[in-house]
Amino acid sequence: MTTNDKTVIGNSITIEGTVDGTDDLVVHGTVKGKLSTSKGVTVAKSGKVEADVNATAVEIVGALSGGIVAKGKAEITAGGRMIGDIKAPRIMIADGAKFTGNIDMGGA
Amino acid sequence: MAESAGIIGKGIRIKGELSGSGELVVAGTIDGRIDLSDHLKIDEGGVVNAEVAAKQLTVLGNASGDITAKERFEVKSSANVVGDVRTPSIVIEDGATFRGTVHMDVELPEGVGRNS
Repeated sequence: MTTNDKTVIGNSITIEGTVDGTDDLVVHGTVKGKLSTSKGVTVAKSGKVEADVNATAVEIVGALSGGIVAKGKAEITAGGRMIGDIKAPRIMIADGAKFTGNIDMGGA
Repeated sequence: MAESAGIIGKGIRIKGELSGSGELVVAGTIDGRIDLSDHLKIDEGGVVNAEVAAKQLTVLGNASGDITAKERFEVKSSANVVGDVRTPSIVIEDGATFRGTVHMDVELPEGVGRNS
């Protein structure tokens, strides 16, 4: 399996610490600590993230406890759950999503 | 065949502890600790500075640290390994670089003593 610029943290993996870099990150497993990339982060359906997430685009399909700082779009899908603050210029929270936290979309 | 646990791409660096099961391929960098109950493959370009415990470990890249491979440890020709290795089975390919100690239970045949 070859991948270019994509990191997949499988369902069976737990990481405690900091993950940072330049790949797209797809988290199906558990990450506690800090997640930072110059590309996109997807917390997949089975993903459980307890971390501050810093990325260009963030999509929450699973669960996030922590803040999002996104240069582009932050999205919580219908099944997604998040407790934390979002700072992003574009935000989409789908019907059915669960979200508690502060939203800062920058200057208005 | 173990299911794929994931791929840590070359653009990613992890500092901390990684644990789990399945087949994990590391093409990026991990500093810290890895505890995997199946197969860990450190790909060419992958750099692991960590205490590693895995069932099977295959190294094509760089590994530095204390290593325990419960079943098998393979050092491919492109690999560079520094550390203490505990394993029941080891393969070091021609061209590989290895510096460290290998601890393996070795039964010598009758008549071949340790103190000679």
